[in-house]
Amino acid sequence: MILIKCPYCGERDQSEFSNGGEAHVIRPKNPESLSDKDWGEYVFYRNNPKGIFYERWVHSHGCKKWFNAVRNTSTDQILKVYKVNEKRPDLSDFENTLKSPSGEPLVGSGNFAVKK
Amino acid sequence: MSAINNNCEYISKKQIKIIFDGKTYQAYEGDTIASALLRNNIRLVGRSFKYHRPRGVYTCGIEEPNALVQILSEHNEPNTRATIKRVYDGMEIKSQNRWPSLKYDFGAVNNILSPIFSAGFYYKTFMGPKGFWKNLYEPLIRRSAGLGKPPKNFRSKSTHQYHNTDIVIIGAGLSGLAAAKKFINTKYKVLLIEQDSYLGGILKNSNKVKTINGLTPLEWINETEELILNSNNITILKNTLVTTYNFTNHLIALEDKFAGKKIDLNKSELTLHKIRTSNTIITNGHIERFISFRNNDLPGVMLASSFEKYIHRYGVVPETEPVIFTNNSSTLSLLKTLISLGCKPKAYVDSRKKDNIETEIKKFLKDKDISFFSDAEIEGCDGNKKVETITIRQGKSFTKLKSSMLCVSGGYNPDIHLFTQSKGLVKWDKNILSFKPDTPFQKTITLGSTSGNYNFKKICDEINEKISIFKTKKISLDINLNVPNKFSIKELWETKKKSNSNWSKSFIDLHNDVTTKDLKQAITEGFDRIEHLKRYTTNSMGTDQGKISSINSLAIVSKMLKKEISEVGTTTYRPPYAPLSFAAIAGRSTYEFYDPERKTSIHSWHLKNNAVFEDVGQWKRPWYFKASENETMHQAVQRESKMLRENAGILDGSTLGKIEIKGRDALEFMNLMYTNAFSKMKPMTSRYAMMLGEDGMIKDDGIICKINDQHFIATTTSSGAPKVLADMEEYLQTEWPHLQVYLNSITEQFSTFNISGPKTREIMMKVFPDIDFSNDAFPFMTFKNFDYKETKIRIMRASFTGELGYEIYIPPKFGLKLWEEIFSYGKEYNLIPYGTETMHLLRAEKGYIVIGQETDGTVTPIDLNYNWMIGKNKKDFIGKRSLSRPDTSREDRKQLVGLSPINKKDIIEEGQHIVELNELPKKITNPIKYLGHVSSGYHSPNLNHSIGLAMIRGGKNLLGQKFFVTATGKTKNIPVEIVNPVFIDPENKRLTS
Repeated sequence: MILIKCPYCGERDQSEFSNGGEAHVIRPKNPESLSDKDWGEYVFYRNNPKGIFYERWVHSHGCKKWFNAVRNTSTDQILKVYKVNEKRPDLSDFENTLKSPSGEPLVGSGNFAVKK
Repeated sequence: MSAINNNCEYISKKQIKIIFDGKTYQAYEGDTIASALLRNNIRLVGRSFKYHRPRGVYTCGIEEPNALVQILSEHNEPNTRATIKRVYDGMEIKSQNRWPSLKYDFGAVNNILSPIFSAGFYYKTFMGPKGFWKNLYEPLIRRSAGLGKPPKNFRSKSTHQYHNTDIVIIGAGLSGLAAAKKFINTKYKVLLIEQDSYLGGILKNSNKVKTINGLTPLEWINETEELILNSNNITILKNTLVTTYNFTNHLIALEDKFAGKKIDLNKSELTLHKIRTSNTIITNGHIERFISFRNNDLPGVMLASSFEKYIHRYGVVPETEPVIFTNNSSTLSLLKTLISLGCKPKAYVDSRKKDNIETEIKKFLKDKDISFFSDAEIEGCDGNKKVETITIRQGKSFTKLKSSMLCVSGGYNPDIHLFTQSKGLVKWDKNILSFKPDTPFQKTITLGSTSGNYNFKKICDEINEKISIFKTKKISLDINLNVPNKFSIKELWETKKKSNSNWSKSFIDLHNDVTTKDLKQAITEGFDRIEHLKRYTTNSMGTDQGKISSINSLAIVSKMLKKEISEVGTTTYRPPYAPLSFAAIAGRSTYEFYDPERKTSIHSWHLKNNAVFEDVGQWKRPWYFKASENETMHQAVQRESKMLRENAGILDGSTLGKIEIKGRDALEFMNLMYTNAFSKMKPMTSRYAMMLGEDGMIKDDGIICKINDQHFIATTTSSGAPKVLADMEEYLQTEWPHLQVYLNSITEQFSTFNISGPKTREIMMKVFPDIDFSNDAFPFMTFKNFDYKETKIRIMRASFTGELGYEIYIPPKFGLKLWEEIFSYGKEYNLIPYGTETMHLLRAEKGYIVIGQETDGTVTPIDLNYNWMIGKNKKDFIGKRSLSRPDTSREDRKQLVGLSPINKKDIIEEGQHIVELNELPKKITNPIKYLGHVSSGYHSPNLNHSIGLAMIRGGKNLLGQKFFVTATGKTKNIPVEIVNPVFIDPENKRLTS
């Protein structure tokens, strides 16, 4: 269970939070003017990278506030948390190792738990 | 024969009695089950998993693969490791996996058939013919699977405890205690966790260390423990095993509160510690591994350091004349221990060349005149349910010795389990022939033998160096040893067999009965990746997780593959480190604390009036009311439904979710959240509304009451309330933060009664004589607030049954009183209470949908013919754009229709398929065209025949057509007609009467 720092309450157990998927997916202002394809992409398509990921969390068993976090999905390290109205941190702020803790290959998984 | 070591200080001299397989034995307080059995010369304690081979105690700790027993006196707890479970007076123990008795086990026939039970036996054997799996194989395998029998039902009082600390030290052995000493009276909050009931680890388990700083090991342990106990910053947890090392230094440890005591079920027997720490120091030592040879599983074969631990820790010498077999320098301390107690080993077999064996070992063997075989190995051992003869191979010659015990040491593995759970990287160390921690992933420090440092002399420097980051005082340890300073080992994993018989076995996994032959076979069959091989052979998949054998199997496999061990790699270590009881994980979240029950303010009345309850979310709702003892559910529902349409009925609707929406922009917000248009709606009116997802699918429905443009009250489904509130909150915070709106859940602030039926108005006028309930003054879908006695109430004209109806909202404190009053007036009008089942039947007659019954996350309002609910002129609302996606505007989507049986006696069942065939073929070869499904099916007492609501492809254009509905267990289908889903009062005359 990882530790998450709520920008309003401080560090709390993961069990107090719910994940809200990818962050910075903004609801289009005029959905009617969008093509089926563009609207479909807003509704159904999300990124799922191995590595740095901008995602939303809500402190559902706490202050109930939504906030954003930058997490390395391959190591589960939360690199930064910031409020919804704060600027999206630049990708270059983070070291994107793209490595899982056990040193798996970039795509798929395998057994390379041993450092050579 | 066993003997007693009277110098042992960890065992009290108090004699107690234990019962094993029905026989009573003497034991000492402080014994484990294993030490007590060895004390009584019992070697055979269980039968193996697959071949039912006789097995004995193999180790003296958590790594035990064989000695698993069932504790009858503790609600039949199965698979308990005899090597760590402490005994108490009157403890009742039973051996496992044998029938009729441990000595004569019928299942041992598997051993005779063993050549066919090789790796992958189940996969290859139980393939066909069709139907055999379900009816024959699975029941057969299930009966023979598992070791122990499941425990009896009992109520655990286990608790959870949380810690936030700076440093956790796992394991209070030599390096753990020394590390803790460095933190005494510093600013750090330290938790020192020890699995045993005594501190000291190797110092108390063996004779390897002679003195520390001039003190005997026991004196040093006591002195250090005293210092720690007197410190103001270190807490010691004994009898506590760290099982899990999660991300962000989160540890889980299990404390046995009743180690060595009879469990008191009124107290918490287990405590699960959940620890969040800044730094973790792992000092949980090492685990000895075995060597594979012929019959290396016979009772009497034991790991050498475990044998030594029984002598020092439990004061029992399991055998006075054992044979010792080693490939390393650590066994000298066992020799010295035995000699000091007047016992003489039968032989000392060392696989190393004579020149490589330390002079002090050779000298000791010569001085004490012990039979010595160098550059030799054990070929195997033989005997009936125990070791009787041992065969030693030295070069080409074989020597047979008679002895009942064989102590084996195949070297030591640093206990890297927790380190790898923490995602640290390990690497192969050629000097100790094992994996050791390399790069930590978290703030983890390993010390002593856990870090691969087997040199006692270097431990002090290692601790001072690795803990220097904390800027604490240096410590000094002056250690004198009974073993050579430098650990030396020769590679040996499996010894060569004399002959190749199909029945001769050398085991690699004792727990799951995996032999070295199985490994070879798996590789031959292509399972040459270690993770595949593990699953195919079940190697190291037992409850011991191959603690004494997994590295051996890696080594053997790497030899077969002609690869380096580091290339083969380890399998993934996952928590828990050792099995832990479900009772501990559940803690207090059991029975009524597992999931709280929510009850309405009328609950006591429902109980008195024979309500049968249904769970809706966490709520207890009356399902139906029994009018008499023998009334069935069907009879009750038919009676309630008929009575309501004739007279009146009342439903406790307090569970419906209620959300208050207030603020400057409440109107705009509601227009965005719901499909309906609220702008032109008059104050104090209400409207049935729907909430969609962005994909256009229905999520929830409810009645929206508009008090004014800045104040709305929304009702939701009973189980959907938390989700609807959370969704509203999410949009407010993330998409429309500019809207000034406040949300509040008021579900529990009101008791809600839905009263409906043709006689409702008369009853309401009696209960509330001051209120004008006439159609003009109080039309359908309006609501009003009133003062009522000492409180305020709100009454809304609405109905879910299709009859004239009102909803009454009152603070719960006054709910029951009003409910009873309504009944006292309602008596003369035959008012009845009704439950959710009748509600569902009545709404189906009226063609109203239920979220989650007609809808399933793939249904749009258009599919339900609810186009009138969509505010087409609104610029935007959640899901609006999706209603014109190509998929949602398809003509052949499943759409809501009504079903009426052509033969009025036929019953339409919920969940059945709608097809074009009047009869299903006996054997279905081609797929049958599927048109849709029955979403609701009831027998309507008011129409006196079965009715159904269904979702059918292109249903809107099928009115009047004939189809067929399948029926349970029958090939003959029921002919039905597609009709309007509103069966009763399509003109809404009753509703607006």
